[in-house]
Amino acid sequence: MRVRMKLLAPGMVFLCSVLGCAKTNPRVVTTLNTGAMLNGALPANPIQGRVITSWIDKNAGTMSTLYGNDVAVQYARTGAQVGYPAGSALSVVTWTQKEDPRWFGGNIPAAAKSVEYVTIAADKHYTYQRYEGSPLKQVDQEAGVTPNDRESYLLSQRAAVMP
Amino acid sequence: MASAYGARVLWIAVLAGLVFLGLQLIRPTLTNPPVTAELQAPPEVRAVLRQSCYSCHSNETKLPWFDQVVPAYWIVTKDVKEARAHLNFSEIGKLPAPQQKAALYEAVNMIQLGAMPLPSYLRVHPGAAVSAENLKVLRDYLNPPAPAGAAAAADTSAADAQYKGWIAASNQTLTVKASPNGIEFLPDYKNWKTISSTDRYDNHTMREILGNDVAVKAIAENHINPWPDGTAFAKVAWAQQPDGKGVSQTGAFIQVEFMIRDSKKYASTKGWGWARWRGTDLKPYGKDADFSKECVGCHEPVRQNDYVYTMPLGGQQ
Repeated sequence: MRVRMKLLAPGMVFLCSVLGCAKTNPRVVTTLNTGAMLNGALPANPIQGRVITSWIDKNAGTMSTLYGNDVAVQYARTGAQVGYPAGSALSVVTWTQKEDPRWFGGNIPAAAKSVEYVTIAADKHYTYQRYEGSPLKQVDQEAGVTPNDRESYLLSQRAAVMP
Repeated sequence: MASAYGARVLWIAVLAGLVFLGLQLIRPTLTNPPVTAELQAPPEVRAVLRQSCYSCHSNETKLPWFDQVVPAYWIVTKDVKEARAHLNFSEIGKLPAPQQKAALYEAVNMIQLGAMPLPSYLRVHPGAAVSAENLKVLRDYLNPPAPAGAAAAADTSAADAQYKGWIAASNQTLTVKASPNGIEFLPDYKNWKTISSTDRYDNHTMREILGNDVAVKAIAENHINPWPDGTAFAKVAWAQQPDGKGVSQTGAFIQVEFMIRDSKKYASTKGWGWARWRGTDLKPYGKDADFSKECVGCHEPVRQNDYVYTMPLGGQQ
Protein backbone atom coordinates (compact mmCIF):
# COMPACT_ATOMS: atom_id res chain seq x y z
CA MET A 1 0.00 0.00 0.00
CA ARG A 2 2.76 2.34 1.03
CA VAL A 3 4.66 1.46 -2.14
CA ARG A 4 1.63 2.24 -4.23
CA MET A 5 1.29 5.67 -2.60
CA LYS A 6 4.93 6.34 -3.32
CA LEU A 7 4.37 5.47 -6.95
CA LEU A 8 1.28 7.68 -7.07
CA ALA A 9 2.95 10.76 -5.64
CA PRO A 10 4.94 11.78 -8.74
CA GLY A 11 1.83 11.19 -10.79
CA MET A 12 -0.15 13.52 -8.54
CA VAL A 13 2.53 16.18 -8.80
CA PHE A 14 2.44 15.85 -12.58
CA LEU A 15 -1.37 16.05 -12.63
CA CYS A 16 -1.27 19.11 -10.40
CA SER A 17 1.22 20.85 -12.64
CA VAL A 18 -0.87 20.13 -15.73
CA LEU A 19 -4.33 20.78 -14.32
CA GLY A 20 -3.37 23.42 -11.77
CA CYS A 21 -4.48 22.30 -8.34
CA ALA A 22 -6.06 24.96 -6.14
CA LYS A 23 -3.22 26.74 -4.40
CA THR A 24 -3.97 30.01 -2.67
CA ASN A 25 -1.56 32.84 -3.29
CA PRO A 26 -0.24 33.90 0.15
CA ARG A 27 -1.42 37.46 -0.52
CA VAL A 28 -4.99 36.23 -0.93
CA VAL A 29 -5.18 34.03 2.19
CA THR A 30 -8.15 35.11 4.31
CA THR A 31 -7.04 37.01 7.39
CA LEU A 32 -7.92 39.96 9.58
CA ASN A 33 -5.48 42.84 9.83
CA THR A 34 -4.54 41.91 13.39
CA GLY A 35 -1.36 44.00 13.32
CA ALA A 36 -3.50 47.15 13.26
CA MET A 37 -5.64 46.11 16.25
CA LEU A 38 -5.86 48.53 19.14
CA ASN A 39 -4.36 46.71 22.11
CA GLY A 40 -4.37 48.23 25.56
CA ALA A 41 -6.74 49.46 28.23
CA LEU A 42 -8.58 52.12 26.24
CA PRO A 43 -11.56 54.01 27.69
CA ALA A 44 -13.57 53.32 24.50
CA ASN A 45 -13.08 51.50 21.19
CA PRO A 46 -12.70 54.31 18.63
CA ILE A 47 -13.60 52.18 15.63
CA GLN A 48 -17.08 51.76 17.10
CA GLY A 49 -17.65 55.43 16.32
CA ARG A 50 -18.72 56.96 13.02
CA VAL A 51 -16.20 58.42 10.59
CA ILE A 52 -15.88 62.19 10.48
CA THR A 53 -12.80 62.38 8.28
CA SER A 54 -9.30 61.02 7.75
CA TRP A 55 -5.85 62.25 6.74
CA ILE A 56 -2.46 60.92 5.77
CA ASP A 57 0.83 62.29 7.06
CA LYS A 58 3.26 61.55 4.25
CA ASN A 59 6.31 62.68 6.23
CA ALA A 60 5.50 60.58 9.26
CA GLY A 61 4.20 57.67 7.18
CA THR A 62 0.97 57.50 9.18
CA MET A 63 -2.75 57.54 8.45
CA SER A 64 -5.38 58.85 10.85
CA THR A 65 -9.13 58.51 11.08
CA LEU A 66 -11.27 60.85 13.17
CA TYR A 67 -14.39 59.30 14.68
CA GLY A 68 -17.26 60.86 16.56
CA ASN A 69 -20.31 60.01 18.62
CA ASP A 70 -23.80 60.99 17.42
CA VAL A 71 -23.58 64.55 18.77
CA ALA A 72 -20.21 65.18 17.16
CA VAL A 73 -21.14 63.61 13.82
CA GLN A 74 -24.43 65.51 13.67
CA TYR A 75 -22.51 68.76 14.11
CA ALA A 76 -19.69 67.88 11.71
CA ARG A 77 -22.00 66.87 8.87
CA THR A 78 -24.50 69.71 9.11
CA GLY A 79 -22.49 72.65 10.43
CA ALA A 80 -25.68 73.52 12.31
CA GLN A 81 -23.75 75.71 14.76
CA VAL A 82 -20.29 77.11 15.27
CA GLY A 83 -18.06 74.69 17.13
CA TYR A 84 -18.69 71.22 18.47
CA PRO A 85 -21.51 71.26 21.03
CA ALA A 86 -21.34 69.93 24.60
CA GLY A 87 -21.71 66.16 24.65
CA SER A 88 -19.37 65.69 21.67
CA ALA A 89 -16.90 62.84 21.98
CA LEU A 90 -14.25 62.42 19.33
CA SER A 91 -11.42 59.98 18.92
CA VAL A 92 -8.53 59.72 16.50
CA VAL A 93 -6.56 56.65 15.68
CA THR A 94 -3.19 57.18 14.00
CA TRP A 95 -1.78 54.09 12.40
CA THR A 96 1.63 53.52 10.89
CA GLN A 97 1.35 52.29 7.31
CA LYS A 98 2.30 49.18 5.43
CA GLU A 99 2.03 48.23 1.79
CA ASP A 100 -1.30 46.64 1.00
CA PRO A 101 -0.27 43.08 0.12
CA ARG A 102 -3.31 42.82 -2.13
CA TRP A 103 -2.90 46.12 -3.93
CA PHE A 104 0.50 47.45 -4.89
CA GLY A 105 -0.09 51.20 -5.06
CA GLY A 106 -1.94 51.33 -1.77
CA ASN A 107 -0.99 51.57 1.91
CA ILE A 108 -3.12 50.21 4.72
CA PRO A 109 -3.00 50.53 8.52
CA ALA A 110 -0.22 48.73 10.39
CA ALA A 111 0.50 49.05 14.15
CA ALA A 112 -1.33 51.91 15.87
CA LYS A 113 0.94 54.78 16.83
CA SER A 114 -1.51 56.67 18.99
CA VAL A 115 -5.14 56.96 20.04
CA GLU A 116 -6.47 60.31 21.18
CA TYR A 117 -9.77 61.30 22.76
CA VAL A 118 -11.39 64.72 22.95
CA THR A 119 -14.58 65.17 24.94
CA ILE A 120 -16.59 68.29 25.54
CA ALA A 121 -18.52 68.15 28.80
CA ALA A 122 -21.88 69.78 29.49
CA ASP A 123 -20.13 72.75 31.13
CA LYS A 124 -17.98 73.11 27.97
CA HIS A 125 -14.90 71.68 29.69
CA TYR A 126 -12.50 70.06 27.23
CA THR A 127 -10.74 66.83 28.10
CA TYR A 128 -7.85 65.48 26.07
CA GLN A 129 -6.32 62.03 26.45
CA ARG A 130 -3.53 60.45 24.46
CA TYR A 131 -2.45 56.80 24.36
CA GLU A 132 0.74 55.46 22.80
CA GLY A 133 2.90 52.37 22.77
CA SER A 134 2.27 48.68 22.52
CA PRO A 135 0.08 47.93 24.38
CA LEU A 136 -1.40 51.43 24.23
CA LYS A 137 -0.92 53.30 27.50
CA GLN A 138 -2.03 56.75 28.56
CA VAL A 139 0.76 59.28 28.01
CA ASP A 140 -1.15 62.51 28.37
CA GLN A 141 -4.31 63.82 29.97
CA GLU A 142 -5.35 67.44 30.04
CA ALA A 143 -8.52 69.30 30.93
CA GLY A 144 -9.48 72.93 30.62
CA VAL A 145 -12.12 75.45 29.70
CA THR A 146 -10.43 76.07 26.37
CA PRO A 147 -9.09 73.46 23.96
CA ASN A 148 -5.32 72.94 23.86
CA ASP A 149 -3.45 73.24 20.54
CA ARG A 150 -3.88 69.63 19.59
CA GLU A 151 -7.60 69.69 20.45
CA SER A 152 -8.02 72.85 18.38
CA TYR A 153 -6.33 71.15 15.44
CA LEU A 154 -8.53 68.06 15.71
CA LEU A 155 -11.72 70.04 16.21
CA SER A 156 -10.94 72.17 13.15
CA GLN A 157 -10.87 69.18 10.78
CA ARG A 158 -13.96 69.47 8.65
CA ALA A 159 -16.04 66.42 7.85
CA ALA A 160 -15.27 64.40 4.75
CA VAL A 161 -18.05 64.82 2.18
CA MET A 162 -20.33 61.76 2.26
CA PRO A 163 -23.47 62.41 0.23
CA MET B 1 -11.58 -11.98 -35.57
CA ALA B 2 -8.45 -10.18 -34.43
CA SER B 3 -7.81 -8.73 -37.88
CA ALA B 4 -11.44 -7.45 -38.15
CA TYR B 5 -10.97 -5.71 -34.81
CA GLY B 6 -7.66 -4.25 -35.98
CA ALA B 7 -9.22 -2.94 -39.16
CA ARG B 8 -11.98 -1.28 -37.18
CA VAL B 9 -9.44 0.43 -34.93
CA LEU B 10 -7.51 1.54 -37.97
CA TRP B 11 -10.65 2.96 -39.54
CA ILE B 12 -11.51 4.89 -36.41
CA ALA B 13 -7.98 6.23 -36.24
CA VAL B 14 -8.05 7.34 -39.86
CA LEU B 15 -11.46 8.94 -39.38
CA ALA B 16 -10.31 10.75 -36.22
CA GLY B 17 -7.23 11.91 -38.11
CA LEU B 18 -9.38 13.28 -40.92
CA VAL B 19 -11.68 15.05 -38.49
CA PHE B 20 -8.62 16.52 -36.76
CA LEU B 21 -7.24 17.75 -40.08
CA GLY B 22 -10.63 19.08 -41.10
CA LEU B 23 -10.91 21.05 -37.85
CA GLN B 24 -7.60 22.73 -38.65
CA LEU B 25 -9.42 24.54 -41.45
CA ILE B 26 -11.73 26.27 -38.98
CA ARG B 27 -9.43 29.12 -38.11
CA PRO B 28 -10.72 32.39 -36.67
CA THR B 29 -8.50 35.20 -37.94
CA LEU B 30 -5.88 36.59 -35.65
CA THR B 31 -3.91 39.42 -37.19
CA ASN B 32 -1.27 41.73 -35.82
CA PRO B 33 -2.54 45.26 -36.44
CA PRO B 34 0.12 47.99 -36.62
CA VAL B 35 1.72 49.20 -33.41
CA THR B 36 0.24 52.69 -33.25
CA ALA B 37 1.21 53.97 -29.80
CA GLU B 38 3.40 51.74 -27.71
CA LEU B 39 3.51 52.14 -23.95
CA GLN B 40 5.78 54.99 -22.86
CA ALA B 41 8.16 53.41 -20.37
CA PRO B 42 11.90 52.80 -19.98
CA PRO B 43 13.36 50.00 -22.12
CA GLU B 44 13.96 47.66 -19.16
CA VAL B 45 10.28 47.90 -18.21
CA ARG B 46 9.20 47.19 -21.76
CA ALA B 47 11.59 44.25 -21.94
CA VAL B 48 9.83 42.59 -19.00
CA LEU B 49 6.39 43.22 -20.48
CA ARG B 50 7.59 42.01 -23.86
CA GLN B 51 8.76 38.73 -22.36
CA SER B 52 5.69 38.02 -20.23
CA CYS B 53 2.72 40.02 -21.50
CA TYR B 54 3.12 41.04 -25.15
CA SER B 55 2.14 37.66 -26.57
CA CYS B 56 -1.47 38.45 -25.69
CA HIS B 57 -1.52 42.12 -24.64
CA SER B 58 -0.04 43.69 -27.76
CA ASN B 59 -0.28 43.74 -31.55
CA GLU B 60 2.94 41.71 -31.71
CA THR B 61 1.53 38.28 -31.04
CA LYS B 62 3.90 35.46 -32.00
CA LEU B 63 2.36 32.02 -31.70
CA PRO B 64 4.65 29.01 -31.25
CA TRP B 65 3.79 26.03 -33.49
CA PHE B 66 1.81 24.21 -30.80
CA ASP B 67 -0.51 27.19 -30.42
CA GLN B 68 -1.22 27.04 -34.17
CA VAL B 69 -2.86 23.63 -33.81
CA VAL B 70 -6.61 23.41 -33.24
CA PRO B 71 -8.03 23.29 -30.58
CA ALA B 72 -5.15 25.17 -28.84
CA TYR B 73 -5.40 27.78 -31.60
CA TRP B 74 -9.05 28.49 -30.76
CA ILE B 75 -8.27 29.02 -27.08
CA VAL B 76 -5.28 31.26 -27.81
CA THR B 77 -7.20 33.34 -30.37
CA LYS B 78 -10.00 33.98 -27.90
CA ASP B 79 -7.53 34.80 -25.11
CA VAL B 80 -5.54 37.23 -27.26
CA LYS B 81 -8.66 39.06 -28.41
CA GLU B 82 -9.90 39.41 -24.82
CA ALA B 83 -6.46 40.43 -23.60
CA ARG B 84 -6.07 43.14 -26.25
CA ALA B 85 -9.51 44.52 -25.53
CA HIS B 86 -8.60 44.93 -21.86
CA LEU B 87 -5.02 46.14 -22.20
CA ASN B 88 -3.00 46.60 -25.36
CA PHE B 89 0.60 47.75 -24.89
CA SER B 90 0.82 48.57 -28.62
CA GLU B 91 -1.92 51.18 -28.38
CA ILE B 92 -1.89 52.35 -24.76
CA GLY B 93 0.65 55.10 -25.56
CA LYS B 94 -2.18 57.31 -26.80
CA LEU B 95 -3.65 57.53 -23.29
CA PRO B 96 -2.52 60.20 -20.80
CA ALA B 97 0.57 59.22 -18.79
CA PRO B 98 -1.33 58.67 -15.49
CA GLN B 99 -3.64 56.19 -17.23
CA GLN B 100 -0.67 54.32 -18.66
CA LYS B 101 0.78 54.09 -15.15
CA ALA B 102 -2.56 52.94 -13.74
CA ALA B 103 -2.52 50.08 -16.26
CA LEU B 104 0.95 49.13 -15.08
CA TYR B 105 -0.11 49.19 -11.42
CA GLU B 106 -2.96 46.87 -12.32
CA ALA B 107 -0.54 44.65 -14.24
CA VAL B 108 1.80 44.39 -11.24
CA ASN B 109 -1.12 43.48 -9.01
CA MET B 110 -2.38 40.82 -11.38
CA ILE B 111 1.14 39.35 -11.48
CA GLN B 112 1.62 39.49 -7.70
CA LEU B 113 -1.75 37.87 -7.03
CA GLY B 114 -0.94 35.08 -9.44
CA ALA B 115 -3.75 35.99 -11.82
CA MET B 116 -1.46 36.94 -14.72
CA PRO B 117 -0.03 35.54 -16.89
CA LEU B 118 -3.05 33.21 -16.84
CA PRO B 119 -2.04 30.08 -14.89
CA SER B 120 -3.40 27.93 -17.73
CA TYR B 121 -1.17 29.83 -20.17
CA LEU B 122 1.89 29.55 -17.94
CA ARG B 123 1.62 25.78 -17.80
CA VAL B 124 2.26 25.60 -21.54
CA HIS B 125 4.43 28.72 -21.79
CA PRO B 126 6.63 28.60 -18.69
CA GLY B 127 8.99 31.17 -20.25
CA ALA B 128 6.33 33.85 -19.76
CA ALA B 129 6.55 33.60 -15.97
CA VAL B 130 7.54 36.88 -14.31
CA SER B 131 10.61 36.28 -12.16
CA ALA B 132 11.01 38.04 -8.81
CA GLU B 133 13.76 40.11 -10.41
CA ASN B 134 11.55 41.22 -13.30
CA LEU B 135 8.67 42.01 -10.95
CA LYS B 136 11.06 44.26 -9.04
CA VAL B 137 11.88 46.13 -12.26
CA LEU B 138 8.19 46.95 -12.71
CA ARG B 139 7.67 47.85 -9.03
CA ASP B 140 10.75 50.08 -8.90
CA TYR B 141 9.64 51.95 -11.99
CA LEU B 142 6.22 52.68 -10.47
CA ASN B 143 7.52 53.33 -6.96
CA PRO B 144 10.49 55.64 -7.24
CA PRO B 145 11.91 56.81 -3.89
CA ALA B 146 9.69 59.49 -2.38
CA PRO B 147 10.73 63.00 -3.39
CA ALA B 148 12.26 65.08 -0.62
CA GLY B 149 9.89 67.68 0.79
CA ALA B 150 6.15 67.83 0.92
CA ALA B 151 3.90 67.90 -2.13
CA ALA B 152 2.80 71.38 -3.07
CA ALA B 153 -0.52 72.49 -1.63
CA ALA B 154 -3.34 71.70 -4.04
CA ASP B 155 -6.02 74.13 -5.05
CA THR B 156 -8.83 73.72 -2.55
CA SER B 157 -11.57 75.55 -4.44
CA ALA B 158 -13.27 72.45 -5.89
CA ALA B 159 -13.27 70.63 -2.56
CA ASP B 160 -14.40 73.75 -0.70
CA ALA B 161 -17.31 74.35 -3.05
CA GLN B 162 -18.34 70.72 -2.78
CA TYR B 163 -18.19 70.79 1.02
CA LYS B 164 -20.27 73.96 1.23
CA GLY B 165 -22.89 72.54 -1.11
CA TRP B 166 -23.04 69.32 0.90
CA ILE B 167 -23.44 71.11 4.24
CA ALA B 168 -26.07 73.45 2.78
CA ALA B 169 -28.05 70.46 1.49
CA SER B 170 -27.62 68.41 4.68
CA ASN B 171 -31.27 68.90 5.68
CA GLN B 172 -32.52 67.62 2.32
CA THR B 173 -32.92 64.06 1.13
CA LEU B 174 -31.24 63.41 -2.18
CA THR B 175 -33.16 61.41 -4.77
CA VAL B 176 -30.74 58.83 -6.10
CA LYS B 177 -31.30 56.63 -9.15
CA ALA B 178 -30.83 52.89 -8.74
CA SER B 179 -27.77 51.22 -10.23
CA PRO B 180 -28.39 49.71 -13.73
CA ASN B 181 -28.39 46.24 -12.14
CA GLY B 182 -31.31 47.25 -9.90
CA ILE B 183 -29.39 47.84 -6.68
CA GLU B 184 -30.79 50.77 -4.73
CA PHE B 185 -28.55 53.35 -3.11
CA LEU B 186 -28.01 52.80 0.64
CA PRO B 187 -27.82 56.31 2.14
CA ASP B 188 -27.07 54.99 5.63
CA TYR B 189 -23.61 53.81 4.54
CA LYS B 190 -22.05 56.90 6.12
CA ASN B 191 -23.13 55.63 9.55
CA TRP B 192 -21.57 52.18 9.13
CA LYS B 193 -18.41 51.26 10.98
CA THR B 194 -14.83 51.35 9.76
CA ILE B 195 -13.49 48.14 8.28
CA SER B 196 -10.25 49.66 7.02
CA SER B 197 -8.79 52.62 5.18
CA THR B 198 -6.39 52.94 2.28
CA ASP B 199 -3.91 55.49 1.05
CA ARG B 200 -4.00 54.95 -2.71
CA TYR B 201 -0.90 56.81 -3.78
CA ASP B 202 -1.14 55.14 -7.19
CA ASN B 203 -4.09 57.34 -8.13
CA HIS B 204 -3.91 60.06 -5.45
CA THR B 205 -7.06 59.01 -3.67
CA MET B 206 -7.84 57.95 -0.11
CA ARG B 207 -10.58 55.62 0.99
CA GLU B 208 -12.56 54.51 3.99
CA ILE B 209 -14.06 51.06 3.82
CA LEU B 210 -17.20 50.84 5.93
CA GLY B 211 -19.31 47.84 6.86
CA ASN B 212 -22.88 47.33 8.07
CA ASP B 213 -23.76 45.48 11.31
CA VAL B 214 -23.71 42.07 9.62
CA ALA B 215 -20.18 42.75 8.36
CA VAL B 216 -18.99 44.00 11.75
CA LYS B 217 -20.42 40.94 13.53
CA ALA B 218 -18.76 38.66 10.97
CA ILE B 219 -15.40 40.34 11.66
CA ALA B 220 -15.88 40.09 15.44
CA GLU B 221 -16.53 36.36 15.04
CA ASN B 222 -13.87 35.98 12.33
CA HIS B 223 -16.33 34.44 9.89
CA ILE B 224 -15.19 36.29 6.81
CA ASN B 225 -14.88 33.61 4.14
CA PRO B 226 -17.50 33.35 2.91
CA TRP B 227 -19.04 36.51 4.32
CA PRO B 228 -22.58 35.89 5.60
CA ASP B 229 -25.57 36.91 3.50
CA GLY B 230 -26.63 40.42 4.40
CA THR B 231 -23.05 41.71 4.60
CA ALA B 232 -22.64 45.10 2.95
CA PHE B 233 -19.50 47.16 2.40
CA ALA B 234 -19.17 50.72 1.22
CA LYS B 235 -15.87 52.01 -0.08
CA VAL B 236 -15.80 55.80 -0.10
CA ALA B 237 -13.12 57.53 -2.17
CA TRP B 238 -11.89 61.10 -2.00
CA ALA B 239 -9.13 62.94 -3.79
CA GLN B 240 -6.05 63.42 -1.64
CA GLN B 241 -5.74 67.12 -0.82
CA PRO B 242 -2.10 67.93 0.05
CA ASP B 243 -1.77 70.88 2.44
CA GLY B 244 1.78 71.72 1.37
CA LYS B 245 3.19 70.59 4.74
CA GLY B 246 3.17 66.86 4.15
CA VAL B 247 -0.39 66.09 5.18
CA SER B 248 -3.06 65.00 2.73
CA GLN B 249 -6.62 65.57 3.80
CA THR B 250 -9.85 64.26 2.30
CA GLY B 251 -10.50 66.45 -0.70
CA ALA B 252 -13.35 66.23 -3.18
CA PHE B 253 -15.65 63.22 -2.88
CA ILE B 254 -15.21 60.96 -5.89
CA GLN B 255 -17.47 57.96 -5.43
CA VAL B 256 -18.99 55.38 -3.14
CA GLU B 257 -18.96 51.72 -4.13
CA PHE B 258 -20.92 48.88 -2.60
CA MET B 259 -20.58 45.12 -2.31
CA ILE B 260 -23.73 43.45 -0.97
CA ARG B 261 -23.68 39.74 -0.15
CA ASP B 262 -26.63 37.56 -1.12
CA SER B 263 -25.51 34.18 -2.36
CA LYS B 264 -28.86 33.41 -4.06
CA LYS B 265 -29.99 36.78 -5.37
CA TYR B 266 -26.57 37.63 -6.78
CA ALA B 267 -25.51 34.09 -7.71
CA SER B 268 -24.69 35.18 -11.28
CA THR B 269 -22.16 37.78 -10.03
CA LYS B 270 -20.28 35.55 -7.57
CA GLY B 271 -22.73 36.04 -4.72
CA TRP B 272 -22.22 39.80 -4.49
CA GLY B 273 -24.29 42.73 -5.69
CA TRP B 274 -21.98 45.44 -7.08
CA ALA B 275 -22.80 49.12 -7.38
CA ARG B 276 -21.06 52.47 -7.67
CA TRP B 277 -22.33 56.03 -7.49
CA ARG B 278 -20.10 58.89 -8.59
CA GLY B 279 -19.93 62.58 -7.68
CA THR B 280 -21.96 64.45 -5.10
CA ASP B 281 -25.01 64.08 -7.36
CA LEU B 282 -24.54 60.31 -6.98
CA LYS B 283 -24.81 59.30 -10.60
CA PRO B 284 -25.11 55.52 -10.93
CA TYR B 285 -22.18 53.92 -12.75
CA GLY B 286 -22.61 51.66 -15.78
CA LYS B 287 -24.54 51.72 -19.04
CA ASP B 288 -26.44 48.54 -18.25
CA ALA B 289 -26.40 45.65 -15.79
CA ASP B 290 -23.36 44.24 -17.58
CA PHE B 291 -21.07 46.68 -15.77
CA SER B 292 -20.97 44.14 -12.90
CA LYS B 293 -18.72 42.01 -15.12
CA GLU B 294 -16.09 44.73 -14.84
CA CYS B 295 -16.33 44.59 -11.03
CA VAL B 296 -16.12 40.81 -10.94
CA GLY B 297 -13.20 40.86 -13.38
CA CYS B 298 -11.13 43.13 -11.15
CA HIS B 299 -12.00 41.12 -8.03
CA GLU B 300 -11.29 37.77 -9.70
CA PRO B 301 -7.69 37.55 -8.36
CA VAL B 302 -9.10 37.49 -4.81
CA ARG B 303 -11.85 34.94 -5.50
CA GLN B 304 -10.37 32.63 -2.88
CA ASN B 305 -10.96 35.39 -0.36
CA ASP B 306 -14.65 35.58 -1.33
CA TYR B 307 -13.83 38.30 -3.88
CA VAL B 308 -12.91 40.80 -1.15
CA TYR B 309 -9.67 42.80 -1.35
CA THR B 310 -9.96 44.54 2.03
CA MET B 311 -8.21 42.98 5.00
CA PRO B 312 -10.56 44.07 7.83
CA LEU B 313 -9.17 45.65 10.99
CA GLY B 314 -9.24 43.23 13.88
CA GLY B 315 -10.79 44.19 17.23
CA GLN B 316 -14.26 44.89 15.93
CA GLN B 317 -16.40 44.46 19.08
